[in-house]
Amino acid sequence: MSVLIDSLLAILAIYLALQCLLAQRLIQTVFIFFAFGLALALTWVRLGAIDVAITEAAIAAGFMGVLFLDALRDFSPAVSKKQQNLEAVRNPLPGNDTKRPILPRLALGLGLVLFLLISLEAVWNTPEGKGLTVVTGVMLPDSGVEHPVTAVLLNFRAYDTWLEIGVILMGLLAIFAAGGKEVYRKSGMTAEDPVLRQVILFFTPILFLFGAFLLYFGKSGPGGAFPAGVLWGAIGILLHLGGRPVLTVIPRWLLYLILTIGPGFFILLGFLLMTTGSTLFEYPPAYAGILILIVETMAAISIAAALTAIFTNLNQMSEEPDKIESNN
Amino acid sequence: MDGVFIFVIVFLLLNIVLGLFRVWRGPTVADRLLTTQLFGTTGMAVLLVLAGYLQELTLLNVAITFNVLAILLVISLFKVWKKKKGETP
Amino acid sequence: MMIKEIITVILLIVGCFFFLAGTLGVLRFPDLFSRLHALTKADNLGLGFIAAGMALHIASPWAVLKILSIWFFTLLASSTSCYLIARFQKEKEQPTDRKEGE
Repeated sequence: MSVLIDSLLAILAIYLALQCLLAQRLIQTVFIFFAFGLALALTWVRLGAIDVAITEAAIAAGFMGVLFLDALRDFSPAVSKKQQNLEAVRNPLPGNDTKRPILPRLALGLGLVLFLLISLEAVWNTPEGKGLTVVTGVMLPDSGVEHPVTAVLLNFRAYDTWLEIGVILMGLLAIFAAGGKEVYRKSGMTAEDPVLRQVILFFTPILFLFGAFLLYFGKSGPGGAFPAGVLWGAIGILLHLGGRPVLTVIPRWLLYLILTIGPGFFILLGFLLMTTGSTLFEYPPAYAGILILIVETMAAISIAAALTAIFTNLNQMSEEPDKIESNN
Repeated sequence: MDGVFIFVIVFLLLNIVLGLFRVWRGPTVADRLLTTQLFGTTGMAVLLVLAGYLQELTLLNVAITFNVLAILLVISLFKVWKKKKGETP
Repeated sequence: MMIKEIITVILLIVGCFFFLAGTLGVLRFPDLFSRLHALTKADNLGLGFIAAGMALHIASPWAVLKILSIWFFTLLASSTSCYLIARFQKEKEQPTDRKEGE
């Protein structure tokens, strides 16, 4: 009977993905993307991967949705200003299209077929046995946490998680490089709308509390540093949108300290543990629980600051196009 | 009892599928956002019923995460709109 | 025991009815404001009934608190978004276009 749910979810996810690609207007794409995130989260829930569902909800639907919306604002005025140029560019395009050689298309088609075959093979021949579940279960008491996913992410494969935090910081670095690292205080950006102001004030503490709850709950269930970081980062984005740009208030050195404290503490702890004779990120089982909690808290703070900075810098990049152009 | 849950979930998912029609057609941007609101509310209901059906209470955390981030999306859309309105004469 | 289950089922069915009403409203109503009205009222009421049904079914105090907060947050989020959508649609249209008069 639950086959009905599964097939409906599958149809919904694939249909939304196709619509997302085929929609004619960008704003349509953004909304369908949000719906797609919801469908995907429901699918992950049905597959039993609640950790993935919660991260999907936080990062893909929430944070990416906001970034996409911001990107929409970014380009739409530019498009309307340079409409004539755009028309001029658009017209020769079909001519080029016919002259395009057949080889890239052939390669693309071949690649697609290969990819489909490989995924079919992967789905068809699901490996026998339980994979690494058994090993994780055996090692779980030594990891300091009760939830196997957190044990793998923060203890057994901590190096990967460290790199993942690094990836977010790399993205931020690229944005700094492209758009400058100054955050301007703008006048007239306060939320003059009373409802908006109250909603922002109401949701800020809730975001903080729920993020802290998810962070602590990661010990025994789905949750952990990444969703918590996104929720805390959402506070910064909300305050920025509501006319209280937090990044202009804190001094630059403090921002850099907050940005680096997560991965910095993580790797320092790893090296410190190496001096006691164990390998990188091998926590002593007696202290593993508290160490993981501290590392996760630091990581969540860094992720939150990084996401806020990414949004703020992208956001103001679109607001002052003249300024950026004149700098070049 | 499980049969009822499955019926409710399938019914709500069908609601979402029907709502897609408005996204596809919606004459204004507002209509499309409206449908996202429909997805959000219906998705919450699906998650709640799934939590009971699968006996998995951590699904409630997923629902709250979606919920508190939906408001962020709404406010950010408000800002996009405002900006566009300011730009066009 | 039986009574509890029956009440749960009734609450869920009533919730489904309101969801259907909301979706039909979104699909069939002629203009944005009536669609907003249908969606925001009916769907949140439907979610309320389903939340009540599931709270009765799960019946652990912590979960009930979470379910209620989910409903409350959804109410806040969707009423805010309804307000914002309506306000901006109204500002976009010229006030003279509306028939109600100011």
